[in-house]
Parts: sequence; structure tokens; C-alpha cells
Amino acid sequence: MAKFGMLIDASRCTGCGACQIACQMQHQLPPHLQFNRLEFRERGKYPNVRQEIVPVQCMHCDNPPCLHVCPTHATYKRSDGLVLVDHRKCIGCKYCMTACPYDVRTLNDDRVPEKCKFCADTVVQGEEPPCASTCMCGVRTFGDLDDPNSEISKKMAKVDVYQLITEKGTKPRIYYVKK
Amino acid sequence: MNKFNRRTFLKATAAASAVAAVPVYLNFSEHKKVASEAPLKKVWTQCNGCSSMCTKAVYSKNNRLWKVEGHPLHLKAGGRLCARGHGVAIDVYNPSRVDQPYKRVGDSFEPISWEQANAEIGEKLTNIVDQHSGDSVLWVEHGPRGKFYADIFLDLIGSPNYCTHYSTCFTSKTNVWPKMVGSSLAADHENADYLLFAGRNFAGGIIPNGMSKIHKALERGAKLVVVDPKYNEMAKLADEWIPIRPGTDLAFFLGIAHTLISENLYDYRFIGRHVHGFYEFWEANKTADADWAAEVTGIPAETIRRIAREMAAKAPKAILEPGWHGLHAHYANSTQTAQMNVIVNALLGNFYKIGGLYPAQNVPFGSVDRKIPRFKRRGDRADGAGVAGKYPTVEPGRGIAQLTPKLIEDGTIKAVFIYHYNPLRTAPNPEEQKKIKNAELVVVIPTDWNETAVYTADYVLPEHYYLERTEAPRNVNGHVAHIYPQIAIRQTALEPIHNTRHLKDIIDGIATSMGYEGYFDFTLDEEVEAALTTIEDVSRERLYEEGVIEFTSHFVEGIPSEHNTSTGKVNFSVPEYAEHGFSGFPTWVPPATWPKAENEFRLIHGKQPWHSHSVTSNNPYLLEMTKKYNGEWMWMNAIRAEKLGIKNGDVVTIHSSVSTKQAKVKVTELLHPDCVWVANSYGNYSPRQKNGYGIGVNFNDFLEVMVEPMAGGTNCQEIIVSITKGVS
Ligand code: SF4
Ligand code: SF4
Ligand code: SF4
Repeated sequence: MAKFGMLIDASRCTGCGACQIACQMQHQLPPHLQFNRLEFRERGKYPNVRQEIVPVQCMHCDNPPCLHVCPTHATYKRSDGLVLVDHRKCIGCKYCMTACPYDVRTLNDDRVPEKCKFCADTVVQGEEPPCASTCMCGVRTFGDLDDPNSEISKKMAKVDVYQLITEKGTKPRIYYVKK
Repeated sequence: MNKFNRRTFLKATAAASAVAAVPVYLNFSEHKKVASEAPLKKVWTQCNGCSSMCTKAVYSKNNRLWKVEGHPLHLKAGGRLCARGHGVAIDVYNPSRVDQPYKRVGDSFEPISWEQANAEIGEKLTNIVDQHSGDSVLWVEHGPRGKFYADIFLDLIGSPNYCTHYSTCFTSKTNVWPKMVGSSLAADHENADYLLFAGRNFAGGIIPNGMSKIHKALERGAKLVVVDPKYNEMAKLADEWIPIRPGTDLAFFLGIAHTLISENLYDYRFIGRHVHGFYEFWEANKTADADWAAEVTGIPAETIRRIAREMAAKAPKAILEPGWHGLHAHYANSTQTAQMNVIVNALLGNFYKIGGLYPAQNVPFGSVDRKIPRFKRRGDRADGAGVAGKYPTVEPGRGIAQLTPKLIEDGTIKAVFIYHYNPLRTAPNPEEQKKIKNAELVVVIPTDWNETAVYTADYVLPEHYYLERTEAPRNVNGHVAHIYPQIAIRQTALEPIHNTRHLKDIIDGIATSMGYEGYFDFTLDEEVEAALTTIEDVSRERLYEEGVIEFTSHFVEGIPSEHNTSTGKVNFSVPEYAEHGFSGFPTWVPPATWPKAENEFRLIHGKQPWHSHSVTSNNPYLLEMTKKYNGEWMWMNAIRAEKLGIKNGDVVTIHSSVSTKQAKVKVTELLHPDCVWVANSYGNYSPRQKNGYGIGVNFNDFLEVMVEPMAGGTNCQEIIVSITKGVS
């Protein structure tokens, strides 16, 4: 069984937004529903200043707070580690939205808190998620963390990584390259 | 999952029955319903999000768009697409598309049939040509995609007036390079060791594969330096961002050239053998050293010297990127700035070198058999491009688009055809451009209800959307060096959903109604086939199937002994300029205007990575990004803002000699204090474009109509604005 994860090299990102809209098209989302976002920060004072951009989406946590608070088990973890939402079981209580420290859930038009699905249907067929495949800067690498020959494992072996908000014990499946 | 699908589907059906109210998004459930049983169709075509025309796969079911993906082989795409590439695909369903021909009646439009449109336009145009001659007819387009058909039409009428939007864009570059070098050369970013980007933002005006190549160069250890008043998207990747006083790039380049020459760091063999006018240039610029340039640009002299030395050390694999517009060619010194691009690169000796610059690789195409119009005598171009005593050095093949309203006002032009171009938003001073309406006949051929259609058209004749039409194949080249020639094709990926037509048939309809029959008697398939007759082993079917075809290379590194210029050499001094009273070589020319008072700024602009000028200004998906990241806000340096008491998100009033408007301010450390910056995609004022209407301001709102005399440009950053907090 694959163990899916993602490596994000935020230093390569130029903030073009292609990952957002490619995801929207893949999943046929309306304009106001987005599964990923960019966080922009300025560091320093003119002219000694630089900009940071961090792409953020569902971390597919191994210890997902959203899952633990869900009263109906609508949020569940698939055996390959993807955190998914069963729409039939969702009662729209939005506990998961509050519990998620990454603020990556978004209410769809049926009041179901939706989020990045790690492209659950297509990655099992070996396809790259569109947020990764459309990126001209090669920011995201998606793949099987358990397979030492996967691109992501090879890259992970060569770089130092960090994760977001680890102090909450969420054990995210998304790693960021430390520069 | 099922619950989600079913519910959304019910809502979608309800919306679908009220056609006008269909939300402009693809609905997954609806899509699944209509498409689930249908096979998934994949068609290669070319993007229309910008001029790079990336080849992309269009996935659809039952003629309903699903998604798009970049073609792995295509030189510009490299398997990737930018946000605009996805966004413009979705616009096929935008309610602001023109769904059939319309005729103006008072302030509104009435639907009419194609037959009626052709008959009425044909009759009006015949009368105008009879009375005022063909010289009074103007065809203006983005260019040059309609040129093949437009030329036939203008030949039939006898008009010399084919005009592109180039003067409002990159005319400085396209004027200078042929005269100085013989053709434009593109940079080999991937193999370069030193990349100086000044006045070029690959990550804003995106070429996806260009960015991939930059990353490859950086991984190899190449150095990237970005010189720009604004910390643009490229600057984020750069080793250094060097903010420069806007309008002074020419001085920076003169300082670089001075260092290279005075310190003997230049390629004297290349200069000695291949350059005309080196001494003239040097004599005139001997005092323009790095210290002088530092005064003008605000960049320390040591930095200028260091960059020149670093580049010389890496030459010939050191590049001053040739830019889209001819670098920051937005000022009274545009032509000289573009000239310095040639000169700095020539001094580095990187011409025709791997890791340097080299020419586009092309495959020659055949042409379809057709009836050729009888020659008609015609006069000079109305805009004066290439005409003695007017604008003799401006290329007549491209024209001066910003003059259109003036030519109508002074009676020279009576009928205008505007194809795939929106001058009311992309040319200077919209109030002036609105006067295009005063021509006796204005025919606009758009895909959507843009400002030009709404405010000026007598007739609006909609073209098929780019996903709905096939066009003749074209070479893939420009801006990204490549030794293997490529051809690509745009082909019908979705069947037309409205009563629209192909440009060829639109023009044929009018020509036929004027009595010019049989001049467009060829099909698109025949055009494609004819184009390919010069190429072995490439059938129409194969090109459709593969989308992009790459050929073996005839490129050999090495400098040609003869250059295709008036002297046969690379002209540091251009005889064609000198003949007409201009300086043949560049020397310092200051911008026409400077900000002076405490609350005065230079208004500069640029691309935002998820928008493409006015083309995407009504796209619901891309505008969501604008909303999320405050993309329409005007950037202002934090120190200047503090002095004026302006805080992030405040509304300010912007006043120029042309207009007064309001905008919100983004207070930032990422901008030179002398200027304010806006993205060039906003300020939509077409009431028929509901998503974009009223969002943000546009630099053209504040710009006077000007003509830079050597190349015909608009001097589009010669705008001084005064800014006050609040609405005043
Ligand atoms: S597509 Fe890539 S470069 Fe563009 S915003 Fe997303 S991660 Fe950043
Ligand atoms: S990132 Fe948020 S939504 Fe995603 S699994 Fe973790 S807690 Fe749940
Ligand atoms: S992994 Fe798939 S669902 Fe998640 S952001 Fe990327 S494209 Fe969207």
C-alpha cells in the first residue's frame, strides 16, 4: 500500500496561481471554492527586502484533528493515508473547519466542508495531481513516501525538510524544503 | 460523494433552464451527468491566454470542457500551463461572449442575421470607398493573426492601412533589432551562467517553459540579477534585486557598457569584425561612466561596475535578457533603451552562442492557391508610419495604433475594422479612444463584449472562440532560444456553442456582398494542407494528432559573416535613424517627465501572473485570485505612504493630466519610492462584463496619447500622478 505525501519547495514558487485553478478545473469547482492557497510575506525593509510565498493545502495529517472531532465519521482516513470526506455522512456541523489548524477547509455549496483530496481518484492510477503537474516552477512533488525509488523519496533524501504547525501533533503528510 | 453530486446537480439543472443566469463555472455534477457515458476526448490546440500560444490538451466530454494541460514538447509550454491558460479555456462559457451578430441602435444593440450584417456593411463600405477611396479604410488588430485574411480584404478595397497593437506594446524592440542586428535573437537561459533581467518579468508575463529553464539554470549555479523598480515575481528567485529609479534604465546600461569598454572587458574581436559604429558610440558616451549612471539611476556605482565585471567574467554565457518590450521601453528614451540591449549583449560577445543569444529557428510554410486581387493604387498610410515627413522610421507593416481616434477626427479614416483588439482598454486615454465611434462605419470583430465593442461598434461580428476554431499552422519561436524548429496548430477542440463564425468567413461575407466573390474560396483544411506542402512527412492528420512537431536542427554556432542590416554589420549606429535626423547611436535621453512634489509619483505598471491585460479582466476564476490577494490594489512604498498618512487598504484619489480616479493602496517594502505600481489587467468598464466591471484602475486611464517619434511607442510610463488620501 502506497503512503502518499507531498514535498513543497516554496523557495521556487513565484505566486502565479496556476496550481489553484488547475485544481479547480480538475475537480470542477466553482470560482469561489479553492483547495489550495498562497501565503505572501515580506521580510525586511526597502531595499533590503525579500518576499516569501508558501503554498498551503490540506496536509493529509496522520493524526488529523478534523477527523477526531467529526461526530459522524464523515471525515475518514483512507488506507493510503488520504484524509477524505464522505458527503453522505456529513451533517454540516463544521467542527472540522474549526479543528484544522491550517485553515484549509472550505464550505461547498451544499454546506459540506470540502478540501484538497490529494486527487484521490487519479493518483492511484499513477497520475500527478494537477497542482503539481501544471507548475512551471516545479514547486510540488507528489508520490509514495514508502517507495525509495519514487521521485519524492529521492528528493527527500537530498534535502532538509520542515512541516507546518507541528506543535499541534498533527503529523502532516506535506513536507517543505528547508532553505 | 453521491450526496454532493446529486444536490449540486439539482441546483445546476435549475440554473441551466434560466439560460442567462447560468453561473460561469463548470459544475462537476452537471458535467458528470452530461458526460459520464460519453468518451473522454482529448484535442491539442493552442492557447489564447497570451501571445506565447502554448499548445495544450483540451479534455472534453459531449462537447463540454473539462480541463486543459500543457504540451510536453511545446517550446513555450514544456508540459505546463499558467493560470491564464486554464482561465481562458473556461471563458468559452462566459456569459459576456457575443453570441451572434449585433447592430447598434442608439445606445443599445439589436441582434441581426449574418446576411443582414454583410449586406449593410458591404453597402456602407462600398459608399465610403467610392467617396473617399480605399485609403480611408483602416484594419487594426492585435496582430498578426488576422493579417493573411485582412491583407486580401485591404487589397480588394485598395487600402494601405493594416495596423497592429504593437505600438502600444513592443514596438521599440521590433524597430531596433532588425535595424541593428537583422533579426531578433532569443536568449538561451538554460545554458547561461549569468542572467540579467531588467525590464523583463518572465514570471509575470509568463512563458511557462521559460521559467522552467530559469530554474534549470539556477540549479546549475547560474546567477540571476533582477533590475526593476518593483520586486517582480522573478526577483523572488534572484540572487539580487536591484531597485532602479524608474525611467533610468538607459543610464544603467550606459554605465554597464562604459565599464565593459573602459576596463577592456568587452569582446573586441566581435566588435572589430562585426560591428559598425562602435567608435561613434564610444566617443559620444565616454563620460557616461558608472559614477554618472549611479547619480541618475540611484544604483551605487560599485554595484554597476561589479555587475559589468561579473558578466564579463561569465561571457559569452552572460545575457542581458532581450525583453518583451525592448526592456523598460516605456519612456521618451524607449528606442535608445532598446538599442542598449543590443549593445550590451554585443559587448559581451554572446551573439550566436550557446548560453548566449541566437536566432529563431523556422520551417517555411506553403500557401494556399487562391484568386489574387487586382492591384489598386493606394496612397500613404494614414498614420504616417514609414512616411517621409511624418514617422519615417516607424515600421509601416505595424503602424501606430494609438492614433486611430485622431485619424477619425481629422477625417482621414472613415471606416474602421477592429479585430481581436480592445483599444478602448489597452491604448492610452480611454476617453480619447472612445472617439473611434465617430467614424462613419465601425465594425468590431471580438469574441466578447469588451469596451471597444460596447462603446464604438456599429456592428459587432463575433468570431468563434479560440477553442472552437482551426487556424493555419505556425512556427513556435521567439523569446526562448531553441535550436530545433517546431510547428504547432490551433484546431477545433469544442464545437461552436454560439452563432459565431471564423474570421475568414466573416471577411468573405463582407467582401462577397461588395461584389468581390471567390477570393476566400478555400477551406481551413486546404489552408493547413497547403502550409504543409513544403514539409516532408508531415500530414495534416499527423499534425492534428501530435499538436506539435519538432524538426532536426540546422543551427550551427558561429557568427554569420554578413548580417541582414543596411551595413551588413551589427549597427551600434543605425544609418536609417541618422538619415532622418535622429541620433544613430544611443546617448542619454532623460524621461519626458519626473515626479516632483511630495505627493507626486510616477505611475508604472506590469503584468500580474494570473492575468493577461484586458483579455482576462472578466474571467470569474482569475478574478477570484484578484479578490483573494488584493490584486487590483495600487502598490506604494511604505515610507512614501507613511509621509502621506496612507495605510494599507486605504482608498486614495489618483490624479493625472488626463483623469482622476480612486483605488485602494497596498503599502509595501517591495517598490521604489519614486513610483506607484498597478497591474495592467484592471479598470474594466464594459457594463456587459459583469465579473470584471469596475474593478481597479488601469494605467491607460491616466496616460496622454503620445507617439515616440523613432519607433512609434506610447511612452506609457510617462505618467505623473498626484495622490491624496481619501476621495477628493
Ligand atoms: S503553480 Fe507553482 S509557481 Fe505557481 S503559484 Fe502554484 S506553486 Fe507557485
Ligand atoms: S490539514 Fe486540516 S483538513 Fe487536512 S487532514 Fe489536517 S486537520 Fe484535516
Ligand atoms: S492535490 Fe489535487 S485536490 Fe489537492 S490541491 Fe492539488 S490538485 Fe487540488
